[in-house]
Amino acid sequence: MSLAKFLALDKLANFFTIIRQNGGIRGSLYKLYRQDELKDGKLVGEDKYGNKYYENPRFFYGRNRWVEYSDKVNMNYDGSQVPAEWFGWLHYKTDLPPHQDPSRPKYKWMADFTENLSGTTGQYVPYSTTRPKVEPWDPKSKSA
Amino acid sequence: MSLAKLFSVSSRVRATGASSLVLRHAQYSTPSDGGKTEMVYPPNLPGYKYVNAEDPNMSMKEMSNRAAQTLFWTELARGFAVTLAHIFKEPATINYPFEKGPLSPRFRGEHALRRYPSGEERCIACKLCEAICPAQAITIEAEERKDGSRRTTRYDIDMTKCIYCGFCQEACPVDAIVEGPNFEFSTETHEELLYNKEKLLSNGDKWESEIATNIRADHLYR
Repeated sequence: MSLAKFLALDKLANFFTIIRQNGGIRGSLYKLYRQDELKDGKLVGEDKYGNKYYENPRFFYGRNRWVEYSDKVNMNYDGSQVPAEWFGWLHYKTDLPPHQDPSRPKYKWMADFTENLSGTTGQYVPYSTTRPKVEPWDPKSKSA
Repeated sequence: MSLAKLFSVSSRVRATGASSLVLRHAQYSTPSDGGKTEMVYPPNLPGYKYVNAEDPNMSMKEMSNRAAQTLFWTELARGFAVTLAHIFKEPATINYPFEKGPLSPRFRGEHALRRYPSGEERCIACKLCEAICPAQAITIEAEERKDGSRRTTRYDIDMTKCIYCGFCQEACPVDAIVEGPNFEFSTETHEELLYNKEKLLSNGDKWESEIATNIRADHLYR
């Protein structure tokens, strides 16, 4: 064990790396407020919605991959904002990020990703996709 | 100030201990120790019972024991240090919306209806999923389409009845109904979970990339 490690100077170095990577003291305080946590890592990729994906194997499995949600959503980030392409990587199903995975299908009918819209005006409202089997009698239509 | 005075703080604590009680009785029986001749204050008389607190034992062993007792108040400080250290330690939990736990390709989440690469919907309304569904959550109605193919006009899943057993996707002969990887579809109202065909197809369109990858990851075991 080196002397620097014995004196926990590597931890101190990590601390300053984290502060530097998160944009100085102000940036770090903002990220701490928004994400409850400060971490340093390698930027693996960014999806088209502006979410950034990071990895740092120094943290244990389960914490070594994370997403920083787009700045556009501010504090309204949600777990369902991770698009399908990045879902597998973030959930440790694959080590290949989508832009390095040629086997992922890209069909023209594939739809844009939306987050869980429950509670907004865009929410799904159920409706029948068939004509009703029993139609109510409408007396006016006969006279008209 | 003598060493004995310094350490006398802890004598009250020790007075309640059972071992000191034994020692006290021992002291009564042998009042002189180590050749020192001291004035024995609690007079060692028959029929005399001394009830007050006694002077602490001044033997080297007892004094060092008391000194150790005092010194080990550092236990408190060390306890606090453990607490402090855990503040800086890596937590054992994950920071959920940013970090997510590992998931299997076989994970059975929100349902989706898939399409062929051409964009044609896969479901042929064989109703095997409806038949096998143990919770009877699936409702299917079928009609002949204009081009003569058999397709569903109604494909409803009551997600609040569904028990996510995965029988529907196992029963499906054309891999149309699948339980996708998504588990973040909680809603604010019950009715939003009564999925119809359009919702299921749009789920499939949104999640096809991940669904196809999961099926390929698991194809050797199917």
